[in-house]
Amino acid sequence: MAILTVGLLAVGTTRDKGPMTQGDRIDAITKRIACPTCDGESVYVSRASAAENIRKQVAREVAAGTKTDTEIIGTIADSFNAQILLVPRATGLDSLVWVLPIAVLVCAVAGLAVAFRKWRRQNTAGATSDDIDLVNKLLAADVGVDPTDDENV
Amino acid sequence: MSDTPSSEVVVARKRPFAPYIAGAVGVVLLAFLALLAFANPGGTDSAESPLLGKPAPEVKSTLIDGGNFDLARRKGSWVVLNFFNSTCVPCRQEHPLLVKFAKEQQGSDDPVELYTVVNDDSDAAVKAYFDTNGGDWGKVRDDDGAISVAFGVAKVPESWVIDPDGYVRMRVIGALSEGFLTARLDELKRQYSGQS
Repeated sequence: MAILTVGLLAVGTTRDKGPMTQGDRIDAITKRIACPTCDGESVYVSRASAAENIRKQVAREVAAGTKTDTEIIGTIADSFNAQILLVPRATGLDSLVWVLPIAVLVCAVAGLAVAFRKWRRQNTAGATSDDIDLVNKLLAADVGVDPTDDENV
Repeated sequence: MSDTPSSEVVVARKRPFAPYIAGAVGVVLLAFLALLAFANPGGTDSAESPLLGKPAPEVKSTLIDGGNFDLARRKGSWVVLNFFNSTCVPCRQEHPLLVKFAKEQQGSDDPVELYTVVNDDSDAAVKAYFDTNGGDWGKVRDDDGAISVAFGVAKVPESWVIDPDGYVRMRVIGALSEGFLTARLDELKRQYSGQS
């Protein structure tokens, strides 16, 4: 049942949703661009003048049909700057945004693995004969029986 | 029972990680300090833009007073594009400085061409404003916002300087101050004339 559920979810999320209309493309692109004069809003959501201008530019580029979505977004980022991208680029210095969290996660997991291994090694250290003698002496003094006697174990 | 493990073995395995971690944190802090020390403080020079030092975007439009405007055809002259809206307070504040600048340029040996790019405003409002407050330079329409987007202009006023070879040389965000444009243009002319 679990496999079936996972399989259906995988198919549902990755299947081809069919050709997009120009309006769909404009919406998809403008959702990935930040409004340059707003705080945390996308061009898709914002009604600011600068956002309207960018939306019109995206509409013109989509209507021209000569650029991919990534190229259109890249053109706008080249005029403003990379900070206008809500989804940072995966190239150049911007790629650190993607790489650093993964690198930190890998380092953290590796560090934990080393630490756990070290602790396990320390815990498996057996008691020495001196330790056993000491415990036996203490038990004998406390209970008054010989702990090495099998019947008392 | 074996007695092989001993406290001496455990002590020998311990390594001093703390100095390495402290060293790494120190290096990162030094890197941040270096970044801050060498970062461009902005202010009086050009504002940041990916377009600086690159060919100016294509600007083709019409003028409010009639005629066409094509930035590529202005090559050979220094050009200042001032993005403007008649309802914007800083635009109105800097306008007298632009009028003065335009008059200075008329008497110059190497006059700079000044153009207003109308941002989200009507022809009538712009005409009325210039009739009242002076300024006889060209007013370029940007009804679809294409010029603003091409230059990455989000708010007005902004001023851009393009050299005679068509390269973007300076961006000023916000209102101009007295004498700033003339002084910076003189520096830019010395720096870039015939170098592009």
